[in-house]
Amino acid sequence: MADLTKLTPGQRTLLQGNEAIARGALEAGISLAAAYPGNPSSEILESLADSAAAAGIYVEWSANEKVALEAAAGASFAGLRAMASMKQNGVNVCQDFICNLTISGTKGGIVLVTADDPGSISSTNEQDARFIAKLAELPLLEPSTPAECLAMMRFAFELSEQIGNLVVLRSISRLSHTRAGVTPGALPASRPQPYWDPKVAWHTLPTVLRHKAMLAKLAKAGEIMSAAGFNAYSGPERPELLVIASASSALYADEARDRLGVAERVGLLKLGCTWPLDEALLLRHLAATEQILFAEEVDPFIEDNVKALYAQHAPELGVKRFFGAATGHTPPVGEMSPDVLAEALGKILGREPATVDAAYLERVAQRVAALVPPREFGFCPGCPHRASFWSMKQVLAADGRDGLVSGDIGCYSLAMLPTGFQRANAVHCMGSGPGVAGGLGQLRSQGFDQPVITTVGDSTFFHAALPAIINARWNQSDFVLVVLDNSATAMTGFQPHPGTGQTATGRPGSQLDPQTVLTALGVPCSVVDPYDLEATQQALYDAVQAGGGVRALILRRVCALVQNKRGGHPYTVSVDPDKCRGENCGCHRFCSRVFRCPGLAFDEAAGKATIDPVVCVGCGVCTQICPAGAIQAEPRKEAAA
Amino acid sequence: MGAVAELPANQACLDRLTSEVINQGLCVACGACLGLCPHLIFLDGQVAAPDACGLSEGRCIDLCPMDPAPEPAARRQELHQALGSSYQPPIGPVIEAWQGRAVAADLQGKVQYGGVVSELVSLALEEGLVGEAVVTVAGQRGVPQGARAKNRPEVLAAAGSIYAGGGALGELNRALAEPADHSLAVVGLPCQVLAIAGMKSHPRYPAAAQRLGLVIGLFCTMNLPVRGLRRLLQAEGVEGPVLKSDFPPPPAGVYQVWNQSGLHELPIEKVRDIRFSGCALCPDLTAELSDLSVGACEGRPGLNTILVRTPAGAKLVERARKLGRLELEPAAAESMDHLQIAATNKRARAEQARAERQHG
Repeated sequence: MADLTKLTPGQRTLLQGNEAIARGALEAGISLAAAYPGNPSSEILESLADSAAAAGIYVEWSANEKVALEAAAGASFAGLRAMASMKQNGVNVCQDFICNLTISGTKGGIVLVTADDPGSISSTNEQDARFIAKLAELPLLEPSTPAECLAMMRFAFELSEQIGNLVVLRSISRLSHTRAGVTPGALPASRPQPYWDPKVAWHTLPTVLRHKAMLAKLAKAGEIMSAAGFNAYSGPERPELLVIASASSALYADEARDRLGVAERVGLLKLGCTWPLDEALLLRHLAATEQILFAEEVDPFIEDNVKALYAQHAPELGVKRFFGAATGHTPPVGEMSPDVLAEALGKILGREPATVDAAYLERVAQRVAALVPPREFGFCPGCPHRASFWSMKQVLAADGRDGLVSGDIGCYSLAMLPTGFQRANAVHCMGSGPGVAGGLGQLRSQGFDQPVITTVGDSTFFHAALPAIINARWNQSDFVLVVLDNSATAMTGFQPHPGTGQTATGRPGSQLDPQTVLTALGVPCSVVDPYDLEATQQALYDAVQAGGGVRALILRRVCALVQNKRGGHPYTVSVDPDKCRGENCGCHRFCSRVFRCPGLAFDEAAGKATIDPVVCVGCGVCTQICPAGAIQAEPRKEAAA
Repeated sequence: MGAVAELPANQACLDRLTSEVINQGLCVACGACLGLCPHLIFLDGQVAAPDACGLSEGRCIDLCPMDPAPEPAARRQELHQALGSSYQPPIGPVIEAWQGRAVAADLQGKVQYGGVVSELVSLALEEGLVGEAVVTVAGQRGVPQGARAKNRPEVLAAAGSIYAGGGALGELNRALAEPADHSLAVVGLPCQVLAIAGMKSHPRYPAAAQRLGLVIGLFCTMNLPVRGLRRLLQAEGVEGPVLKSDFPPPPAGVYQVWNQSGLHELPIEKVRDIRFSGCALCPDLTAELSDLSVGACEGRPGLNTILVRTPAGAKLVERARKLGRLELEPAAAESMDHLQIAATNKRARAEQARAERQHG
């Protein structure tokens, strides 16, 4: 990412939503930023990391989101402005801390940025993290544009200090990754000197009294937010239909209104401050209309809270009709879009939404499809995870006891799909792989004899797997822990983690080796190169057979993409068509049909396997699975050592 | 190949092998399906098929000696016919019957009984009758496995029986897949010899017909799964890899096993409990589709019984005898009578087991 301190104040520039969030934090004068990577949030901290030296601030990738927010809280207690950013799943990781921090309160401005992923574009769920604001009674801001991201971040730190509590800013994928014009403001000339007066203690006791104080903070926040200008109305004074929307959905609603030509009939109340709700504003607009449509992603957060507000004031407001997720006018799952809202508006107003000719759409779809290579959602060419899960598949089949793999979060979550031979039997959240395995491994005395393997990546190992491993070791559960050590947080963009020895800003850190950690925990552990299929399968088989406690196997091979950056893989791979058995008994397209590396293709005309030279990276693993020795790997002259 | 039952249209062969043999517990780890293709794997004595193959005309199920579909007698009759021999239960066609032993000193202490198999395979290699021999050896981890021998030391490395399924025919399939034209010798149990006969007469396995020059069968009453045997031996306190084992002829009633610390004997009943389920269905004591079959000689521990079935087998035995490699005498009538009785009994037990299986 770019060094955002180099932007010129007052000069409009294109910024990604995440960059605008980061720039807003810099303009607010943060001193510390911490995060755990995860799409769509990662660029926030990456931008801050690349700006850290120039800004003179501390920025870190933390081992997990809870640690990140705790680090930010530490800075806040010392009087500094600080922030933690994460994707929606990360909010769960630090929820315990949030629910206590909100009672203890804070000093320096502190902001939690959650970048949610409606539609689950790159997530295991599409959880709506806005609920943390209501759960912990925290102010919630929802920007709609990159410019608003910047402005709201500046505001959020001010608000946090005014009320003495954490403030939540919620972005979404489309906003985080949208580029739009933003006019940066000035950076602070100085920041406070950190100091924590030892006479001041930050804790939750007496809880009830502090809880009461916390509610007062929220009420105060509501007053400040209502004057901040982030809630805006456009449309007729007494609209036939009022759309209440937040974030990108407000833009979609505006577009849908224009598309249908109903600007004179439909009002749009865009809410940037969505918790606490500006009740006076809402009551005023509810009184001015009979029909209300909600537009938001993903859950009916505003919808339900506005309805509750309405219920409280129904006698004064009279009968209203509400449309939204509850009535099926907006989807309760997935992303919102202008089309969805146009259809909803049309349905309510009795107008046919202006649609594009279906035949034209079909032609466009076909043209676009023709441009897309037919590739499945899967591991990259040369990915060591493909080799690892291949070996797991083979070994568990040979074991013959219906062995299971309790998966975890990372690129290797894809093992639930054909690219990983559907060898992940369960995938939930960071660290849940060994947790689930730990429970299964305790069922031996009840007749459960299926072998259990759990897989964690090296970053996940440090993030959340350790407590589960320690628990299993303590309680003597019975499973095989496979650490898929590709020396990268690959899925989120190669951010460093404790095992890499690098830090967010490039400053060398201490390198932690999973093997050392496991050995210290008393978990027997060996290291194998997953590219060596025979050695991996033997080690895995031995580990599966060993039984009697947690035993670990570290399958260590650097991520194929990292290897590409380091000069590439060692081989040029080719197929000898004379040896290739093609579709005959003895093969039947084994390499391209079963092993499925995208570098392997099948020449339909020749009836033989072939290598896609553009895609193949030259790892050479496929030479081990060809039954005829037809796939050959020659050393590449320019290969890196 | 006439003895192979026709498959239902479009049913993948591998699916049938999996559902009707492997998943039914009938696999005896002979290895006939291994080495043909990458879909079938063998690890620690177990055959598995992790992935679907999709072909309906694959060879794996055709070659499997445990395919329950063909009626055993009809299958064997047709295979004999295809190989130019005749179906003669209970011990199969015999043109000569001998009992004897190998003379060479380098065999002593390594071989089972008289060392006839090791000597004949060694001689076939020396004389150039075959270029390689596929035998079963004890792998490094104590698991038997197929191996190829090209000379006497390599043959001697495979001397002695292990009585555990090592999938040795997988090595034969790999050898047959190579671009070579030399003849191959194979030493196998009755199930493996049945599979080899299927290979030789399979219309889509020309290399087998062209290159299988010598098939030496071993007498067999039962074989043991690697993992089950390991568990049994661990339970009985027999540690480490098995170097050699034996089922001495009745009335011994024991299973003998040698490890680094020497000989251990287990009651035959304990071993029978862990044998391959498929072995109960096998009607063949003496590997009737071989060129010659070799086994123990009742009452004479240092000798083998040799049943010569084909001219090729007779020629090799005669050559060994002439060269003084084997000391032979005609098999004793009483011994042959007992062998016939034992073979008849095995057939009867197999028929009964098959009937029980078919009728639940």
